[in-house]
Amino acid sequence: MAENKKKFFDKVKTNEYYVRWGKNPYTYVTAAILLSLFQIVTFSVTRNPWGVSNAFAYWGAWVFEALGGSVDKWYFFASSGAQSILEEGFLNHAATWRNIGVITGALAATLLASGFKIKKIKSPKQIVAAVIGGLMMGYGARLALGCNIGAFYSGISSLALSGWVFAIGLFIGAIFGSKLLVKYFM
Amino acid sequence: MKEVMLDCYGEACPVPLVKAQNKIKELEVGDVLIVQIDHSCAMKNVPEWARKEGYNVEVEEIDDGEWEVIIEKSK
Repeated sequence: MAENKKKFFDKVKTNEYYVRWGKNPYTYVTAAILLSLFQIVTFSVTRNPWGVSNAFAYWGAWVFEALGGSVDKWYFFASSGAQSILEEGFLNHAATWRNIGVITGALAATLLASGFKIKKIKSPKQIVAAVIGGLMMGYGARLALGCNIGAFYSGISSLALSGWVFAIGLFIGAIFGSKLLVKYFM
Repeated sequence: MKEVMLDCYGEACPVPLVKAQNKIKELEVGDVLIVQIDHSCAMKNVPEWARKEGYNVEVEEIDDGEWEVIIEKSK
C-alpha cells in the first residue's frame, strides 16, 4: 500500500501538467493577466476596487472593541460608511474574506508545489527590521489611505492621478529602503 | 577551481541576490558559487541575474522549500 502511494506521488512529481501548473512559478505576464481578471471580478462583485490593508484597520478596531474599547470617536472611523462596516461585523466584510482568501491561497499554492517551509530567524536584526518595517508600512498605508494595492494598483488601474502620486512616493521609498537594507543587512 | 557555499537560508529578497552579486566578485573565473536559498522569489531573480551575466546556472531542489542555485563563473 505504502509502496503504491509512493509510486503514485513519484508519477505526479514528473507529470507534465503538474510541473507546469502546480510546481513551477508562473511568469510575470501570466500572473499580471490573472491579477487583472480577478480585480475586475472583485470590483464588480463588491463594488469597491481591490484593497488589502484597509481591512487590517477594521480587524484592529474589532479586536479593540471586543476587548471593551471604542473607536467611535476616532477620526479614521468617523464616517457613516466606516461605522456601518464596523456594525455589520467582519463576517459581512468582503475585504476581510478576500484577505483570508489571499492567505489560504498562498498556503495552498506553496503546499501544492511542496515548497512549504517554516523559516528560521537568523538574527535579532531580522525581528527588529520586521517590526519597525511592519509598523511603518501599516501606519503609512493608513495615512496615505491605501497601500500598494488599494492606492497604487487600484488607483492607477482606475485612471486616478492619486495612484501616480503614490507611485512616486513608493519609488522614493523603495530607493531609501534598499539603501538601508544594503547598509544593515549585508 | 574552488567551490564556495553562500548560506542565504532565512533571507528574504533582495538579500540573497545582493549577497550573490558581492560574493561572485571575489571569485576567479572557473570557480563555482552555490547560493543556498529558501525564499522562492530568489529562485527567480538569482538565476535571472546570473544568466544575464553570461554564467552557467543550474537550480537544484534540495528539500521542500529549499534550493541551491549553482553558478559557474564561466567568464
